[in-house]
Amino acid sequence: MSDINIKKVSYLAKLELNEEKAALYEKSLSEIIEWVDNLKKLDTEGVEPLHNITEKSQNLRNDEVLKENSTEQVLSNAPEKAQNFFRVPKVVE
Amino acid sequence: MNNDWELVIGLEVHAQLKTESKLFSSSPNQFGSDPNSNVNFIDAGMPGMLPVMNSGCIEKAIKTGFALNFQINSYSVFERKNYFYADLPQGYQISQFEYPILTEGFVEIETENEVKKIRLERAHLEQDAGKSIHDIDPKYSFIDLNRVGTPLLEIVSYPDFNSADEVISYLTSLRQILMYIDVCDGNMQEGSLRADVNLSVKKPNAELGTRCEIKNMNSFKFIRQAIEYESKRQIQVLESGGKIDQNTLLFDTSTGETRAMRSKEFAHDYRYFPDPDLLPVHIAEDQIEKVKSTIGELPQQKLLRYVNEFKLEKDIAKIIISEKAYAEFFENLISAKLIHPKLAASWLVGDIFSFIKEKDLQIVDIADKSSKIIQLLEMIEKGTISNKVAKDILIEILQKNKEPVLLVKELGLEQVSDNEELERIVEEALIGEEDNIKKFQSGSDRVLGYFVGKCLKATKGKGNPKVINDLLIKKLK
Amino acid sequence: MPTIKEIKNQLSNKNISVQELYNVYYDKAKKSKLNSFNHLLDPEYNKENINSSQARYNEGKDLSLDGIPLGIKDLFCTKGVPTTASSKILEKFIPEYESHVTQNLLNDGSLFLGKNNCDEFAMGSSNETSFFGPVINPWKNKNNTDSQLVPGGSSGGSASAVAEGICVASIGTDTGGSIRQPASLCGVVGLKPTFGSCSRWGVVAFASSLDQAGPITNSVEDAAYLLNSISSHDPNDSTCSNHKRENFLEGVGKGFDRPITVGIPSDYLKDINSDIAEQIENTKKHLSKLNVNIVDVEFTTTDFALSTYYIIAPAEASSNLARYDGIRYGYRGCGNTLEEIYVNSRSEGFGEEVIRRILIGTYVLSAGYYDAYYRKAQKVRKLIKNDFQRIYNEVDFILTPTTPNEAFQIGEKLDPISMYMNDIFTVPTSLAGLPAISLPSGLSKNGLPLGIQLIGNYFQEKSLLQMASLLEKEFCFNE
Repeated sequence: MSDINIKKVSYLAKLELNEEKAALYEKSLSEIIEWVDNLKKLDTEGVEPLHNITEKSQNLRNDEVLKENSTEQVLSNAPEKAQNFFRVPKVVE
Repeated sequence: MNNDWELVIGLEVHAQLKTESKLFSSSPNQFGSDPNSNVNFIDAGMPGMLPVMNSGCIEKAIKTGFALNFQINSYSVFERKNYFYADLPQGYQISQFEYPILTEGFVEIETENEVKKIRLERAHLEQDAGKSIHDIDPKYSFIDLNRVGTPLLEIVSYPDFNSADEVISYLTSLRQILMYIDVCDGNMQEGSLRADVNLSVKKPNAELGTRCEIKNMNSFKFIRQAIEYESKRQIQVLESGGKIDQNTLLFDTSTGETRAMRSKEFAHDYRYFPDPDLLPVHIAEDQIEKVKSTIGELPQQKLLRYVNEFKLEKDIAKIIISEKAYAEFFENLISAKLIHPKLAASWLVGDIFSFIKEKDLQIVDIADKSSKIIQLLEMIEKGTISNKVAKDILIEILQKNKEPVLLVKELGLEQVSDNEELERIVEEALIGEEDNIKKFQSGSDRVLGYFVGKCLKATKGKGNPKVINDLLIKKLK
Repeated sequence: MPTIKEIKNQLSNKNISVQELYNVYYDKAKKSKLNSFNHLLDPEYNKENINSSQARYNEGKDLSLDGIPLGIKDLFCTKGVPTTASSKILEKFIPEYESHVTQNLLNDGSLFLGKNNCDEFAMGSSNETSFFGPVINPWKNKNNTDSQLVPGGSSGGSASAVAEGICVASIGTDTGGSIRQPASLCGVVGLKPTFGSCSRWGVVAFASSLDQAGPITNSVEDAAYLLNSISSHDPNDSTCSNHKRENFLEGVGKGFDRPITVGIPSDYLKDINSDIAEQIENTKKHLSKLNVNIVDVEFTTTDFALSTYYIIAPAEASSNLARYDGIRYGYRGCGNTLEEIYVNSRSEGFGEEVIRRILIGTYVLSAGYYDAYYRKAQKVRKLIKNDFQRIYNEVDFILTPTTPNEAFQIGEKLDPISMYMNDIFTVPTSLAGLPAISLPSGLSKNGLPLGIQLIGNYFQEKSLLQMASLLEKEFCFNE
């Protein structure tokens, strides 16, 4: 049996699964995790993790302002907007 | 404060960096613009958009590293901190986690009776979030992404504070340093400097207690109130046999109380991992040296120099170094070496500051008058005018921007230092004062002051007090 | 199928106008029943571009891709043109910006026929996860002509459209095999360049450390034409290389003036079926004819590549897809609270496979599992890279099959892991970031196309295309 807490994982990913789907995904994830678990067989002691294939250092940008777009363009795909803001239901902190 | 309990406080300070553009995009880093006007497609987290690191932020971080005695790391990595929030467009914040740019620094603060070293654990670069505005509409919140991607340097201290006073002293000093090195504008009202306070209480020699984190405060006053309220609350809970829940709190400025943020079904799990859109940052030794040369004098160095070199009183020097603009103004006054620093300092913290305060001005507002102030101070130094006259002229300069030399001539306010004329006045003043002369001769110094005053009155304030003083002593002996 | 060079000659010689050419392809695409386009751009939409292209031909100043009708995988943001990633969550999304790669193609005069269907967010190996329905492979199994076959994925629409001849070529993306695998199953050429060759700016992200744009074409020469256009430095992509790009056409069709060694990894051939084995044997014969030295090589990490990939790619994807929250663009589910909007937008907007990958990625990054899975996978990835570097000390190219099988039926593979196994030969190269090309090498017993994969060393696309062009000639001669 796997220790996948599908409720917690879907909560973190902001996904809602009904009971049936949660069970299916839990089974599917368990199988996949078991499948990828063969990595444990490989000795990686002392190996540096590879984050990016180029293994170079960051290209930096000069601290300069470029304005290439308008507020309208930023908002053009918004499902809901008002007064140049994106609009969402009231957020209670 | 209950004497049985000790406070243990650690701070996380978020300083917005004073750059032209944002941390990973070329949108303007600007406060107070129209909603969503400083937002490009990267800031808005549009599909396929990629971050590109701003070199200006690296420079500011290096500067801070020097000023706060940090180790500057030649290798640092940007990671993603994953969580959802309406004003976090990417669904993650790009921050540094395992490899921050700065580690192990310190700041010295003055407490009531000692100099205390506050150890700093780390400082890292990260993106600011946008703003949710809740008070425009009863049913909706509005999202403004202008602040998204503003560069932040998060400076994390060890839990080295034991009182609100220490916290405020540290924040004051930190703000001063960051403003000196031009890393942060220090504008707390606009949120340029914000602090999270981690607080727990314990009995002396006991283990650390459970801490609570009070989030996102941007005023010294509220920080002090929050610390005072929260420590009392924790002590009360513990003394009545309760337990402290490790919680994230908000300080409600209207009630002066802290309250827990809505608790989540599951604890946060930010799933940090190196951002695959960015490569590690390597900082070369020569780059560090280059930045070092641009830092200039830090406030504590200035203070020492003012006291040792200029012989200023420490309290006066402290006032002058408290803001970089004051120090700059002061150094400008004495730059031509025509005026004694002590004279300039006493006029600056005296009459000039009073004027600014009274008129609710900033020092920069009178920066254009400094050459006239220099002329005025020169005349005082040479004894051309008296202090009393100088005070009046200073007001004329500050208010009406008049030429001091012309003013003095125009109003005939030039100090009389002419010996012959003053000798005549002194002689006249001594007529009929036989009793007082005797008193002087039998050792009463106070009488001298009386005579000087009498002579000055006779010159309508224009007589040079020093010359009068010397003449009187000569005559009286 | 005519090549880009041939079409350009026709246009230059005024045997056909740019408009006529566009109409021919547009009409074919419109009539196609294979669902390879999510969105077609009619001649009216492209009128201005068509006219200016014609004007350049008239002046004899045609650009390198002038007038060539291309398909673009619906993962590239195209300004003013719907860009969906074949997902409901982006169904109505119209970008206000043009991706670096597609801008390059426009700058070189090409015309966009439309946006090619693909797996949702490029997650899939059969093009069955698309919100707009599966793409159909133009090839038929000669022993079962009634069944509809998958084109492979995720760039299935691109490969199907090129194979059907309804666009001259298409630009796809490859994360773990998404260009090479469908190219193989549709009998066309697919090139995944070195990671960092082409800018990812404006490409809807799946797994940032693996995603790379590349051409799907009818010939190696066409692939070189397109690579010349799309491979360029972009300061807006921090991972895009700033090395000087060669002219990739220069080597095409020319013999090598140095001895060439090709390594064949024995561990790749352990369990392959006879169809696939035949492709490799056949290719070896051709290589011998080309005086290429063939050596056996052996990797130590091959068995771990898929596991590594199915940790890293979902991990990055889970974070990359967090931005689809229904707030600023895309599908918004109903809800009275912010939380409900997030959850409903995402749960309703993402398809089954995308949700699966987000869940895997979230799990392997979560507290307590990060070291065991994500960090472990990053370490193995380093070993995989080292493994390739070791072998490149001895060889110029590596030859492997592209896929473990021919095209399968739509709906046939239901189990995710058996689907993931499709990428067994392409994934190691992706993890190492190396350039690789899939080349049609022959037909299976069922009469379906199969491909071989040639892998080059970092940024050796020019010689890789050269080698591929020589083999291509051999394969054609054989047919």
